Amino acid sequence: MKQTARKLSLGAVSAVLAVSLAACGSNSSNSESGSTGGGKKVTIELALSKSSQDSAFVQQDLLDEFEKETNIKVNLQLLPAEQTSTVLQTKLAVNETPDILQYNLASATTDLNLERNFEILDDQPWVSRLLNKDVLSAYGHVYSFHVSQDTGMQGVVYNKDIFKELGLEVPKTYDEFLAACEKIKAAGYTPIFMPFKDNWAANVMPGASFGEYAAKSEPTLFDDLNANKKKWTDIQAFQTILDQQYDLYKKGYTNTDVLSDSYDMAAGKFLNKEVAMMFMGDWLIESVQQQDANMNLGLFAYPTDNSGDAYLGASPLGGQLFIPKKAKHIEEAKKFLDFIATKEVAQKIVNNQSYVSNFSDVTTPELPAYKQEILDNYITPKKVAMTMDAYMLVDRSELYRSLQDEFTGSKTSQQVLQTWNDKFAELMKDKGEAGF
Amino acid sequence: MMTRSKSMYGYYLVWPALLIYTVFFVMPAIIGLYYSFTDWRLDRIGIKFIGIDNFNKIFTDDTLLLAMKNTFIFALATVVGKNVIGLVLAIALNMRLKSRNFLRAIFYSPSILSVLVISIVFTPILRTEGMVNKFFDAIGLHFLSQAWLTDPHLVIWTVALVAIWQQAGFQMAIYLAGLQSISKEYYEAATIDGAGAWRSFTNITVPLLLPAININLMLTLIGGLKVFSEVFVLTSGGPGNSSQVVGTIILRAFGEGNWGLGTAINTLLFLIVSLIAIPLLVFMRRKEVTE
Repeated sequence: MKQTARKLSLGAVSAVLAVSLAACGSNSSNSESGSTGGGKKVTIELALSKSSQDSAFVQQDLLDEFEKETNIKVNLQLLPAEQTSTVLQTKLAVNETPDILQYNLASATTDLNLERNFEILDDQPWVSRLLNKDVLSAYGHVYSFHVSQDTGMQGVVYNKDIFKELGLEVPKTYDEFLAACEKIKAAGYTPIFMPFKDNWAANVMPGASFGEYAAKSEPTLFDDLNANKKKWTDIQAFQTILDQQYDLYKKGYTNTDVLSDSYDMAAGKFLNKEVAMMFMGDWLIESVQQQDANMNLGLFAYPTDNSGDAYLGASPLGGQLFIPKKAKHIEEAKKFLDFIATKEVAQKIVNNQSYVSNFSDVTTPELPAYKQEILDNYITPKKVAMTMDAYMLVDRSELYRSLQDEFTGSKTSQQVLQTWNDKFAELMKDKGEAGF
Repeated sequence: MMTRSKSMYGYYLVWPALLIYTVFFVMPAIIGLYYSFTDWRLDRIGIKFIGIDNFNKIFTDDTLLLAMKNTFIFALATVVGKNVIGLVLAIALNMRLKSRNFLRAIFYSPSILSVLVISIVFTPILRTEGMVNKFFDAIGLHFLSQAWLTDPHLVIWTVALVAIWQQAGFQMAIYLAGLQSISKEYYEAATIDGAGAWRSFTNITVPLLLPAININLMLTLIGGLKVFSEVFVLTSGGPGNSSQVVGTIILRAFGEGNWGLGTAINTLLFLIVSLIAIPLLVFMRRKEVTE
């Protein structure tokens, strides 16, 4: 009797488990059939970081319009900002992919293995209308979608009103920059805000300046570094740039607690008129002006030397849409991109966001003053270089951490580069790159 | 003769729980053990068996060794801190004080807060220009002002202090339960025999409190060795790598796409925790006495 009861209970448990497993499986097969059934409503999943939830591509009215037109519903998966890459890596690894995801192209090549995981979009109808294919391409193929070609620019964000009040011009040389810092400090403002508790912020100036050095002096530098033909410690200019950043701190031109202050404090520091400058991208200007439209901020290129010919750093375009190869609804996902790429929808987005349009038949609207200045002073005269990050094939966190070490006094600039050189070689070797 | 009919429920009732435990805990652990010997990576399709390469890497990487050292510092500091403070609080609040219930609630309350809240509260307090340093400056003890969260040599101790502040109240609650289970008659008899407070404490309280001490030591030791959240929210392992612990290093390895290495570090952590905790548990159990 007991034996029977035991067998029965085991059987029951197995049955429950089998049913639950079957339920997991059938979920996906149901949606599969939904996608093929004519006229049936299909739901596609779009994953993006919570920090990108204001993205123009996921505004509710746009999604509603798309659903009305195509009967395809877009469901948003908002991922925690600090875990976005880990969550996406995991989803891609176990083939539980969303149908579309929003990410940065440059990071996708290092973090998400572009070639293995994503659809090539070369044959999509909107590709022929693109003005600048490069910002959406890698390895010679279009892998991503965006209506803008407006890459973020990096340099020194500055408060024009403070500069005007102190009679300062935009510094063209390193000496002028130091003189400006001195004058700002004497007037009681913090010349430069360094929020290096967030270690990536310590890389903004070096990242742009390394890129500028390579563009001007050694165009093949990053290719050589990536092929192990050169070492990070070989480049004297890198060391000089890191020394400069540390010197600004040692000279008292920065906030005193650089390793305790974080990036989220930056907008407040500008709004309260506590700081005059910061090494950052133009996205900071946008977020400050969203809180106070009267804030008069601009961006200039950080002068690493006295040549008077400083370049802005151009970050790779961010916020592109990608379609994973393992997506369950690839055709529907492509329809979503087609929809956004239509002249009317794209024009609406470009107008609302003041983007530089990437479609030949969509016109660029009037730009905000700071963007127009960047366009006139740097982009048009070609005083722009891609930042170091655009060339990197591996995770840079260890470099950022070493930059913090410089500010605790535990590493010199040379040791920072040595540490990064070793870690870089290890990561490249693990990745299987030739030459390491 | 023992008969099965004496037990009210059959052993087979354990099967569902055992099955779930096996599927969700035992199997992933075994699979993890396998992956720790492979070159499993984000950007590689095939997985190759690479023997003990990952483990070799762990013992030759300075940052990983630093993380091990920091983990032990954190574990030791929190075991001592949480238990000593927890026990002192428990003894104090076991006395006949009018406000003891209120005080018990006050000392216990930090342990119910989320670690994230602790980070938001302590990060500004521990800044170089924060409240702690301002307090020391105000009372003339300027030499005690420190860069609590940014001095590479100090930071792991600071994180441990915050963890002790948060969790000592929890240890107190366990000690209090233990103290209340000791019969007052022992103390009365000891007093009649002329024993002082210290003799009573060492000869009655400590031996009879051993089960509670045992539990607390185990909880704090295992929690200390597995530390992640306190470090992650307060410093993210920084500045640089100076407060990295094994838990945050695992996250770093995953972030770098090196999943095989991350799993290997995890396996190592599991082994370390087991090798320390199990013998200690056996040893402490033997020391326990019953009333």
